[in-house]
Amino acid sequence: MSKNPIKVALIGNPNVGKTSVFNELTGLNQQVGNYPGITVEKKQGVCKLNETIKAKIIDLPGTYSLNASSIDENVVIELLLNKNDEDFPDVAVVVTEVENLKRNLLLFTQIKDLEIPTILVINMADRMKLKGIELDIPVLEKELKTKIALISSRKKIGIDYLKDLILNYNALSTEPCLNASSIDPEYFNNLRRAFPNQLLYKLWLVITQDVNFLNLDRNEIKSSFTKSHSDLKKLQQKETIKRYQFINDTLKLGQKIDVSKATDIRAKIDRILTHKIFGYVIFFGILMLIFQFLFDWSSIPMDFIDETFANLSSLAKQHLPVGEFTNLISEGLIPGIGGIVIFIPQIAFLFLFISVLEESGYMSRVVFLMDKIMRKFGLSGKSIVPLISGTACAIPAIMSARNIENWKERLITILVTPFTTCSARLPVYAILISLIIPEKRVLGFLSLQGLTLMALYLLGFGMAVFSAFLLNKYLKLSCKSYFVVEMPSYKIPMFKNVGINVLEKTKAFVTGAGKIILALSVILWYLGSHGLSDDFNNAEKIITQQNQNKTITTEEFEDQVNSFKLENSYIGYMGKAIEPAIRPLGYDWKIGVAVVSSFAAREVFVGTLATIYSVGSHSEEETTIKNRMAAEVHPETGNKIFNFATGISLLLFYAFAMQCISTLAIVKKETNSWKWPIIQLVFMSGFAYITSLIAYQFLK
Amino acid sequence: MDIQQILVYASLAVAVGFLVKKFFWKKRTKKSKPCGDDCACH
Repeated sequence: MSKNPIKVALIGNPNVGKTSVFNELTGLNQQVGNYPGITVEKKQGVCKLNETIKAKIIDLPGTYSLNASSIDENVVIELLLNKNDEDFPDVAVVVTEVENLKRNLLLFTQIKDLEIPTILVINMADRMKLKGIELDIPVLEKELKTKIALISSRKKIGIDYLKDLILNYNALSTEPCLNASSIDPEYFNNLRRAFPNQLLYKLWLVITQDVNFLNLDRNEIKSSFTKSHSDLKKLQQKETIKRYQFINDTLKLGQKIDVSKATDIRAKIDRILTHKIFGYVIFFGILMLIFQFLFDWSSIPMDFIDETFANLSSLAKQHLPVGEFTNLISEGLIPGIGGIVIFIPQIAFLFLFISVLEESGYMSRVVFLMDKIMRKFGLSGKSIVPLISGTACAIPAIMSARNIENWKERLITILVTPFTTCSARLPVYAILISLIIPEKRVLGFLSLQGLTLMALYLLGFGMAVFSAFLLNKYLKLSCKSYFVVEMPSYKIPMFKNVGINVLEKTKAFVTGAGKIILALSVILWYLGSHGLSDDFNNAEKIITQQNQNKTITTEEFEDQVNSFKLENSYIGYMGKAIEPAIRPLGYDWKIGVAVVSSFAAREVFVGTLATIYSVGSHSEEETTIKNRMAAEVHPETGNKIFNFATGISLLLFYAFAMQCISTLAIVKKETNSWKWPIIQLVFMSGFAYITSLIAYQFLK
Repeated sequence: MDIQQILVYASLAVAVGFLVKKFFWKKRTKKSKPCGDDCACH
């Protein structure tokens, strides 16, 4: 037998436990990437079948049928129809679940028509007794012309048998289990005569699906055999009805359900969780709990990471030879890496909660619940997931919009998600609020500063929804819009699945956005610590002359030199160059530098101001920088720089502006075009500028 | 120019090169059309 791995495509409807089967087969031998040219996640792994033979398992995106409606589903069809694809499977493993066998088998019958050796996996076998379901496997195998593995990925039952079936895939029948061409014999006979060497069902899919084929002349087929759109739709409907008739007949023979045993707790829970009042109350209650835990739990590891990197930075400075590269390491690279690593706890906790909600089956109820509200603003119920995820980071949030089938709704979701208050805005909000909002209590117990922070979160969400409404009105994309959501059974989340998901998402954040942030921090460090002018090169001399008649400590002298150097560095020049444009908003050049540098990532704003205001020790950073910022006065007017008007102007700017290059990069990647990130940048930053301008001019 | 400065400029070149490659020199391995002209973002 060949030592080449057997190529296995894992296919199935969403929520049938396909990922659990993939995890059981591959363990941690997984790789996550993208399909070439598109942004759909590609998961593959290796499974050891016996001592000598391995299988390469490709976990394809969940799909209900081979009639594609989203890019995820297109991936499945394109792979199954293209024998030249390097991943074209030797065997297809169709995963179904015992409670929804009827619906799940539709996809199975379509794949069988492609004459690919196919194994049917019936998952969640452990629930059969509970639900009063009995299956006659030999009868089902005979009718469906395949081998069946009855498994429970949760209880690890039947996995070895599935491996045996994969190992012996050559023995599987490739005969279709029904004759779908009988829906219009004349049409299909003509098609068969015209293309005798091609598989009939493949030709049918070429005619009805808008997918890329590498080895078929799509135009040739379509020009001769295409029918009107409505005729094709009618034929597709007939095909589906025929398949369901076959499935019904098969299940009558091979499945028995004892209705008295099928307790309906699920329907009762559904009625509460999707109730038009209680449903929302429960959801917002869960959200509040999540954010409470998210910030409370994250703060401990985040503080630890922050301190560790600050110590590493000091150690590097103390022990490495004095020089520019040492400065780059201690002031650029280590804080740069720290700036990525510090967000790992929040990202990990967020995906932990999201995974638990998804795994338990609750997220589908939330999507159903929110669809009613979101649809009024041109969004889908599925948009709620990116909007919630956006509170941690817009990057994974935008990526999570991939499962929205309707392109217009997906595009709107991608464009408005960055308005949601992400964790990178928090340090900016926190320091500005502490500067301009007094530490007062409202109604005796509510902190005014806390309420301001909450108002900023609501402002971001409100702006996202409002922008969606505008985009929905003005975007001239007429797309079919329908909403189908699976209501899976409630389950206790599997630790392994949750763990692998958290690991994958965190890794994607660190290796994706992380590399960009790291590269930018090197460039920003260079621009901030180098300059061309004589003033920059003679900073020590100039500061010494300025302080001739004063007594200052060495620390104060160094602070002043650093501040002077920064003012005359490349980035200082950039700040001064943009000063005329930002002065109407109440900002000076130093704030301008922080705003420009925070284009890399919003949280850089605080770090840049810390450097500009010459703050040394990180352990007292916030207090010190707060005092310095509070004391900062305008050299010409003598007025405080961080007054109420400037503070509000800055808060509004950061609430609305597209201050994140990584988000723009991911929008470009997701939309496959520069057009949308540019529109997003211009609209968000333009809106931020105008609102900040109005706020400052009104309040000053 | 000492060794530390050389390393700084090398790091800078790598950082700039990385960003240019990432955003402007992306190799397309499969024909893909921009999304947004119609409903099909394939």
